[in-house]
Amino acid sequence: MQRYLNLYGAFLGQQFKSYAEYRANFIIGASSTIMMQAANLLTVWVVMQQIPDFNGWGFSELLLIYGLITLSKSINHMFADNLWTVGRVYIRSGQFDRFLVRPIDPLFHLIADRFCYDGVGNFLVGVVLLGAALAGLDLAWTPLVPLYILLAVLSGGGIFIALNLITCVTSFWIMDSVPVTRAIFDNHLFAQYPLTIYPKAVTTLLTWLIPYGFASFYPASYLLGHDVGVYAWAGPVVAAVLLFAGYRFWQFGLRHYSGTGS
Amino acid sequence: MISYLRRQASIYGAIAASVPKRFLAFEIWFWVGLVLGAIEMMILVFFWRAVYGQTATLGGLSLDQTLTYILLAQVFAALADQDLIWEFGYNLREGLIAHMLLRPVGFQTNYYVQALASLATRMIMQLPMALLATAAFGLRWPTDLAAWGAFLVSALLGYTALFFFHWILACLTFYTTEVWGLGVLVYGLTRFFSGGLMPLAIMPVWLRTLVLAIPFAQSLAIPLNFLSGITPVAEAPATWLFQLAWVIGLGVVSQLFFRVAVRKVTVQGG
Repeated sequence: MQRYLNLYGAFLGQQFKSYAEYRANFIIGASSTIMMQAANLLTVWVVMQQIPDFNGWGFSELLLIYGLITLSKSINHMFADNLWTVGRVYIRSGQFDRFLVRPIDPLFHLIADRFCYDGVGNFLVGVVLLGAALAGLDLAWTPLVPLYILLAVLSGGGIFIALNLITCVTSFWIMDSVPVTRAIFDNHLFAQYPLTIYPKAVTTLLTWLIPYGFASFYPASYLLGHDVGVYAWAGPVVAAVLLFAGYRFWQFGLRHYSGTGS
Repeated sequence: MISYLRRQASIYGAIAASVPKRFLAFEIWFWVGLVLGAIEMMILVFFWRAVYGQTATLGGLSLDQTLTYILLAQVFAALADQDLIWEFGYNLREGLIAHMLLRPVGFQTNYYVQALASLATRMIMQLPMALLATAAFGLRWPTDLAAWGAFLVSALLGYTALFFFHWILACLTFYTTEVWGLGVLVYGLTRFFSGGLMPLAIMPVWLRTLVLAIPFAQSLAIPLNFLSGITPVAEAPATWLFQLAWVIGLGVVSQLFFRVAVRKVTVQGG
């Protein structure tokens, strides 16, 4: 474990040297994701100026949901973004083969090969939203609250990474997995708002099949004192199960990898 | 003169005809696009229904009017799409820009023809979204022919203005060399400022003023206001004149900016 942490630090250091060469790109990339979030947030802000509540949720409560999922997404965005392009960038070009001949885990190597600076924008937006939400809410502060938020964000990040991992494995067969990953990933957009505004089928989907609900709605509901039963603490379990399943599926895919001859 | 025009039509016709083939080459993206479009449409419909759970009108618009606008915005979303930044970035990265600048066709005209062909192709590909909006969410299509006429002219003018605006933005890639961040930034700006997420009438005055002061809304919100009945057709001539001023102004600036920026082109590969 220590060896992999040291290695990750070494990979990260090299990448930051490269990013320092392209500072304008770094700034534009990080701020681009802020603008993406701002579009939705401006919409929410404009309507919340004109209505007393949104399906029973106040503005700060909406920010809490939005902040939690944005922070979860930022973990995936910053540290595991290469899962998106494993087929398009590595497998198709033959670059993936170099991961197989080095004395480290190929999945670790793939993930450590890129720190995505665009995700820094998402992280900053998430922190600001969470801060604004907590400042506007009348939460009973105990030491458990920050720990619960940290656990919720890490679990949410794990869910994002696991779902991207599961879908990216398809690139071992279909070469470019981006369409598959995107079709699943975009379902997280539902979880930017309270799941109570959707029909039952969507709530079930976001809870049992593509469980982004555990990255935002359920932890936010628990923090706000809404009764969501066992779902309040299910996030870490869901993340662990999905990550385990994702890694096993990755190993299965890897055994079927035959290269492209590039 | 006639033979010259015939030759130009033949060249640019061939360029336009190549665009649908490019879309057809990536069939899986057609299906994924439908899934993504359906997700976004569902979220927006349930979002606005929840908003109107607390009020009868917003900015003078009822739920039905807002939903009609939002669904039409989803169906006609291609009006706000431009690929110039990605195209310039790709051509720079692959070194193709050097060849393209040497070709005996108008560089900007070439891209404008491709943009129009791309719009037409995307509109055809949006037909399933139109069916979904009609069948699942009860979109009632306008029947007033004058509203359709006002919409079509306004959409063409707005799309042309947006093309020139994106041209200026795409020229920035000659300076930044990397396009991903710039592309995502412009996409984020487009999402809100095109008016695709909410009708302009719902925005506070200061925000609406800001939106109208930049070109994003010209290709989507302004034409859709005619189609969804928010703007009376009688106001069409004044709107068209305003949009024409955008087209001329941005057209001139885009040419001037390109002349300066093209000197910075650094071919990275090829």
